[in-house]
Amino acid sequence: MFIERAHSWKKLGVQCILLALPTIFFAFVVLLKLNANYVILQNQWIYQGVYFSLGILLSLIFYSWRFRFISTALMLALFYYIGYQILKQIAVGEFDMFFFSVQYLIFIFIFSIGWLVGFGFSRWRFFTVIWVLFLLAIEIIIISKITTVTAGAIALGFIPVLLYTFYIIYASELIRNLNEHQSSFRWYLTKRVCGFFGVVILIFAVIFYVFRKDFTAIETAWKKVESHYNNEKSNSQRMTKVNRDGTISNTGKMPLSGSLSKTKQLVFVAHLNNFFADGTTQNPLYFTADYYTKFDSVTQTFATDTTRPFNDLFSPDPSQISLFFTKSDSNAIKNSLATLNRKVVETDVYKVALSPKDYLAPSTAFSIQPISVPYEYASQYSSAYHAKMWVSSLNSAYFVYNPAGNTMLEDFQKTRYDILRQDSGYNGVDSAFLAYYTQMPQGKSYQRIIDLADTITSGDSTTIDKMLAIRDYFLSKDEFGQPLFQYTDNPGEPGLPGANKLDYFLFTNRRGYCAYYAGATLFMLRALHIPSRIATGFLTVDRSSKNPGWYWFYEDQAHAWVQVFFKGYGWIDFDTTIPDVNTQQAPQPDGTPPLGSQKVAFVGDGTILKVDTLKKQILLSVEKILYKDRSFTTAQNPDMRLSVAFAKVFADTGAINLTDLEQGMHITAASYDEKLSHLDFQKAADTAVNILSRLPQPVSIDEIKIIKEAKVVTPNKNSVRSYLHGFDWLTILISLAVIALVIMIIIILLPWLIWRFFNFRARKNLHFKQRAILYLLNQMGYPRDFHSPEDFAQQIDRQFGTHLSLFTKVYQKEKYSHTPPGRQEITEAAATYKPFVQAVKAHIPWKRRVVLFLNFYHPLHFFIKNH
Amino acid sequence: MENEMSNIEQNVLATSGSVQNIEKLTQNIEQVIKGKTKQIRLILTALIAGGHILMEDNPGTGKTVMAKTLAKSITGGENGQAIFKRIQFTPDLLPMDLIGSYIFDEANRDFVFKKGPLFCNVLLADEINRASPKVQSALLECMAEKQITVGETTFPLEALFFTMATQNPIEMEGTYPLPAAQLDRFYIKIHFGYVDDDTELEIYKEYLDIQQNQQDIQQVLSINEILELQKAAEKVYIHEELLSAVRNIISATRNNDEIILGASTRSGISFIKCLKAYALINGRDYVTENDLQILTHPVLDHRILYRNKEARAKLLYQILDAEMDRLSKLNLTRKHQ
Repeated sequence: MFIERAHSWKKLGVQCILLALPTIFFAFVVLLKLNANYVILQNQWIYQGVYFSLGILLSLIFYSWRFRFISTALMLALFYYIGYQILKQIAVGEFDMFFFSVQYLIFIFIFSIGWLVGFGFSRWRFFTVIWVLFLLAIEIIIISKITTVTAGAIALGFIPVLLYTFYIIYASELIRNLNEHQSSFRWYLTKRVCGFFGVVILIFAVIFYVFRKDFTAIETAWKKVESHYNNEKSNSQRMTKVNRDGTISNTGKMPLSGSLSKTKQLVFVAHLNNFFADGTTQNPLYFTADYYTKFDSVTQTFATDTTRPFNDLFSPDPSQISLFFTKSDSNAIKNSLATLNRKVVETDVYKVALSPKDYLAPSTAFSIQPISVPYEYASQYSSAYHAKMWVSSLNSAYFVYNPAGNTMLEDFQKTRYDILRQDSGYNGVDSAFLAYYTQMPQGKSYQRIIDLADTITSGDSTTIDKMLAIRDYFLSKDEFGQPLFQYTDNPGEPGLPGANKLDYFLFTNRRGYCAYYAGATLFMLRALHIPSRIATGFLTVDRSSKNPGWYWFYEDQAHAWVQVFFKGYGWIDFDTTIPDVNTQQAPQPDGTPPLGSQKVAFVGDGTILKVDTLKKQILLSVEKILYKDRSFTTAQNPDMRLSVAFAKVFADTGAINLTDLEQGMHITAASYDEKLSHLDFQKAADTAVNILSRLPQPVSIDEIKIIKEAKVVTPNKNSVRSYLHGFDWLTILISLAVIALVIMIIIILLPWLIWRFFNFRARKNLHFKQRAILYLLNQMGYPRDFHSPEDFAQQIDRQFGTHLSLFTKVYQKEKYSHTPPGRQEITEAAATYKPFVQAVKAHIPWKRRVVLFLNFYHPLHFFIKNH
Repeated sequence: MENEMSNIEQNVLATSGSVQNIEKLTQNIEQVIKGKTKQIRLILTALIAGGHILMEDNPGTGKTVMAKTLAKSITGGENGQAIFKRIQFTPDLLPMDLIGSYIFDEANRDFVFKKGPLFCNVLLADEINRASPKVQSALLECMAEKQITVGETTFPLEALFFTMATQNPIEMEGTYPLPAAQLDRFYIKIHFGYVDDDTELEIYKEYLDIQQNQQDIQQVLSINEILELQKAAEKVYIHEELLSAVRNIISATRNNDEIILGASTRSGISFIKCLKAYALINGRDYVTENDLQILTHPVLDHRILYRNKEARAKLLYQILDAEMDRLSKLNLTRKHQ
């Protein structure tokens, strides 16, 4: 049997060099990148590249004969099978077999791709298009894995694949139309390929040069939003969010996601004066930022209910409150409805990375007073506040476990459970309140949770016993003595998108982080009609430091837990998240607490009228003052001179320079000068003006805090977009569109513009008239082509009734004869030009002329003879 | 310079009468051969350029009539008319059948040379490719040298010796294709071709008149006048750019991968001669690009050996078109006084 060749050896060589080699090179690069991202490939990109090369080269050679694809592909499959059987014979042991078969599968897969590509290049005309689409898809996947976006990384990701794409399409067409019998075909190919690269590189270079600012803008824009992006990356979640200014806040929502990312950043330091009955043992309390009552079952996300029908949160913006002035609002927490075992606890919070706008305190806080950071700690802490809250004496961060052997704590737990067991249930509680805090989503999967809750708490009657039963369930062990539930930051996702993740957590996976435990607990409690909610904030870790009452809060302490409502006691924290037994947390080094706050003698708050930089004095228009812990507000806005020579100036973000003070700024100036507190004044008649008039002016000021006026900020749901707004895609798109439009118009109009130019030039002499005539006729669909000038002129004359023959004759004489034609002759010939143009126009209707002038092929044909 | 200029003008003036006669000759022939103006002009071009013509076409397209009419239109031969001879070439034809031979004269007891058909003014060599190469080369030698050497005697041919050879386009059995070197001797090769449908109908309608016309051909041009025209043609002005155009075309045929054998320098000279003759026929004393366009194919096509049919179909057109394009863009406008 003789099989004919589909391609000559020469053509095969060209295919190998021009198609296969670049493809192999590119495949190596792609495989390298894929290996970096996918573990299954086992980082053997060189081997895989070789498999691919083998596939493509063998296939190219094989299919240069006229073999049919399907039959040969079946043969190949047979070979694969035989190879597998042989491997099976050779392989010793199960592990080897597994290892080999994975390797062999990868080999088969990659070799087959190579084989298919080889066939495509050899025989399948439109294969290159499919192939480059495939490569582009892979490249997009690879690029999506880029974690640090830089202009360079994007360019490096995209340019090679674009270059390859264009090249391979061009080269495959070039080879398809190649005449290998042409004697100089090597030179021809070299010329074409070099020319192609020249043009492409030129175009890319020009684009890069013109748009280089935009490319770098991508980088800067990315740097701004990178943290947001990583936060919102589909399968990773943080309990905190990073703000624009780099500070940290709690997120307003808590999706149940596949993994949790944490950092070791110090967020804030707090002093909490809550101790157990013995007065020395610390009773840490969780610091609450917000609470979630809403659950979106579609996205499986817990979120703040923006309507908050039973608002129970005092959430001031510390950055908007003047230094040392107190803001309190116990009305905000009226829904805590706590009357029993209640005490007031105070805390001082010193912010490190925490956003200046955030207010964190153990629930349920009702008062805030911004305080100054002692000067020696000014570089560590940006701002600080003092907060007061009502705390149930039954509340504690200790729930799941107690410090080992601490009998006092165990007694406390026992006592508080006993007190809570006396609880009379929820009779007499507002039914709307109860309904709000016990609602849960409907559905089969949630019914399973309800059933589970019923099973777990079957023997318990009181709320606290049910709570303890749920806790014990999470801590229970299975039939093998292994913990039923485990803590992990990476619980993974259920296979089914949109599945009930809590159901998955409770019944299948049993691994999760705080959001899972809190969410599962919440729904079990609500299933039992116990009013509860998820609180979010920071876990307080008692590290028994040498500074009692001081706690350090790191980013990985961001936490979510359950608060249960007890009638008369209000909301009590219960944390059912089980400890992480696998990763032992290294104890965080606690620093020195910012002690040494001075007693403030006088505080003035107002607007700067004048700044005297020479004398270092400020003229302040006073709005309110604080004197001897009493605040006075004045409507008269008296002026007051301040000496700021020794003052430290702070903004929300930390210490700044004195020179940054400007006229019109709203500041709070504090003085620690003890002399000021010894002034005599009649308490009854005291007003701000009175006190000011008695102060020795200028008042020596020790600390100034700038209050930035609150801007009306609409909550930005998608802050990423707002950043990208600075990098104006729309403008770029529009300008690109406009440029494209202008170019299009020019291209469309070009034939006509050329005609105008020719027509204008035709005034000069016969030669340019002839050019204009030829151009016009060509554009109107009468190219001269192979007609001799005189034949052509005669034809045209017959067509349009013109005198082109006469013109041509004189023109030729003028051009080539030894004796030029007479003046009169030339004038006569020249005179035929205008009537000629008019005759042509008269013969072709203007609509047709417009269409003909739009034809860009005609001028191309005129200037570049392409027969 | 001034002198030279007037000289040329004088020449043109002198030949202008004969140029009008050429017009008459054309009209004469057109009375008999319908719808072949272009071919007639090309034949006359070859005649005036002092060359020969090869007509490639099927039998019955009017080649013989054309030759006869041409001969009849010329005066000044032995019978007051140009001598017209026709030889039908066959494989068994011998050179002496063309040239003539020594015959023993009984009366003078000596060998006398009996002139063959080559001693004429207009020769129609029918189916030239059917003769053996020996005969072909004998004919072609005469065409080039315009003389015949038999033994020791050299016999000059007539001053006006114009060969019109025909050959069949289809490769038939028993033909000896002319080698490229011999084809080169023909200044022009034309395809006679069939006339278009309208003309054909006209011929059928008026064939009696045409036959009558053939009988009544008037003699419009003398041999001397033709010889003078040949001399005048030599003096026709050809612009340097056109000369370089000829040079470019010729060299382009040599530097092309699709062409095995390009045009020779001799063909370049023939080309220029034909250009000049054609210009003269058209009543001009200068060559134009129009002439170049019309003559390139008839003059060069048969001298080029192409690699394949595709190349034959388009290559020369491309070469010519590139050159025509260059000329068309060339601004040779002179400053007028």
